[in-house]
Amino acid sequence: MIYRKQGGVARWENGTLIRVTESGAAREDGDLFECWPEPSNHAVDEPTSRRVVEIASSLQHLPVERLIVVHGAARHEYDGRTWSEETERIHLSLAHGQLRALVDSSTRRLDDWTTIAAALQRADPHDREPPRHLVLAPGVAAAVLPFLPNATQTAGGVDGYGNDIVDGGTQNFYRPSYRVRPVRMPHNLRLDHHVTAIDPDLPRAIALLAPPDSVALRVLVIDGESVYPTTAHVTKIEAVGREREWYPYGAGSFGAELML
Amino acid sequence: MTRFAHAVREELWSRGRRVESRLAQGQAVEDAHGITATDARDDELVMLARHELERLHAVMPQDALVRLVAEASTEAITATMTVRLNGISIVTDPTHAARDIELLRRAAGGSAANRSAGFQPAGPPASSRPPLPLLWRNGTAALLLHEAHAHPLEHHLPPLPLPPWLRVEVPLQLRRATFRDVPLLRMQHVRVTQHDAPFALPPEHIEIHLIDGGAYDPLTDVVTLRIAASSVGPFTITERRGDFRFLGAEGEPQRYPGVICSREGQELVVGSYAPTLLTA
Repeated sequence: MIYRKQGGVARWENGTLIRVTESGAAREDGDLFECWPEPSNHAVDEPTSRRVVEIASSLQHLPVERLIVVHGAARHEYDGRTWSEETERIHLSLAHGQLRALVDSSTRRLDDWTTIAAALQRADPHDREPPRHLVLAPGVAAAVLPFLPNATQTAGGVDGYGNDIVDGGTQNFYRPSYRVRPVRMPHNLRLDHHVTAIDPDLPRAIALLAPPDSVALRVLVIDGESVYPTTAHVTKIEAVGREREWYPYGAGSFGAELML
Repeated sequence: MTRFAHAVREELWSRGRRVESRLAQGQAVEDAHGITATDARDDELVMLARHELERLHAVMPQDALVRLVAEASTEAITATMTVRLNGISIVTDPTHAARDIELLRRAAGGSAANRSAGFQPAGPPASSRPPLPLLWRNGTAALLLHEAHAHPLEHHLPPLPLPPWLRVEVPLQLRRATFRDVPLLRMQHVRVTQHDAPFALPPEHIEIHLIDGGAYDPLTDVVTLRIAASSVGPFTITERRGDFRFLGAEGEPQRYPGVICSREGQELVVGSYAPTLLTA
């Protein structure tokens, strides 16, 4: 069977606007994966360049080292099923001194970044020992979920073969592009815990300072008046907050406050 | 207004069996409003890419993991083969494949004959660099200068202070990996030469033969190099670029078997040449 995808992307990348439209097909035949461009007559709503430019402009006051804003729309077809999706993604790195805060998000949490940028400006440049207890902000927690064995899939949407993503399922496949062989991967991860009360007075990790190294996270911590980098290990989780927000890690990850 | 177009044939082979095959094609037109990219086909470029792929087929080994990339663009025609054996890899082309794959086999083999020739087999990397002078053989010094000298230039940072006997040629130009990418100021190649360099080899030193990868962080000015094969086995170097001391060099530049450089997710081949170099 042949998978087909057509779509377009408007992307702001470090000051340059790029608009891409393409369509292609992919086939798996035993161990062999093949893909190729293929013209399509189906209409797909073109992503709006104006939206990505507006978002990028609204962040120009921050100490931006790298900024990528993406708005995409796609139509998929496989085994008689068709489905569409629209995506918005932001990758941002903020730099101050020798510290770099990394943010991968949708476009719904723009306010967080002003907080991160302000904290970065007054951060102690030297790493400290991690505090005994620490709360991970949702955007930080979302990044570690793919490394936690007890994170589970959340129902909603369809996977790379057009199959329903079911709650707790393990049989869904991630296909970020028609040029990539689908891989089995849980979608929209979340972490459940019987304790949901988060102590608001604990030190709080508000941003990643490096990509996760499994469950080891180098993070920027606000602890009262202090702001400093540390490396925390996500081993014993004592509570998970109720409010969840989706982040673009792996095949999706619902970040919630995690209390360690 | 500028136009870029290309066609790429890419294949992945596992021990003589094709497991992935891709055709990509497209063009990008840049004007004052940005870049407009589509997957428009240029039949001539597709045909040229197919021809390059056939050249790669003719020389690829049957007992390794092999990635072939044949590209024909409005800027260049390239044929690149990445060969991975026993956990280490080289990047080569049809002209140099035989010699480069032999080097890889010696480094990856770990036989008694190889060890007597000065190689230690690949294995888990040691955590840090042993405290001995480093002798960069097989053109590997080009990768040291790639990270410590050339990448900073791409970021408009000052060049690395070099001794008068050492020169590094790094032409920079706007390059892109695919028609979907924003062109970036990237190095084309790194060619290191020495002229009347001193060369006093200390009896105790480490010989570096193959490098698995590297990185430069413009924020911290730190260079990381993962040594895949050396006289003491694999290890990792993590140092500020200014901390490297150049003690000497000898010979003509040797071609290092390929470097695929990744920046902003765009992978590009960078030609690499260097003489034998001694550093502390």
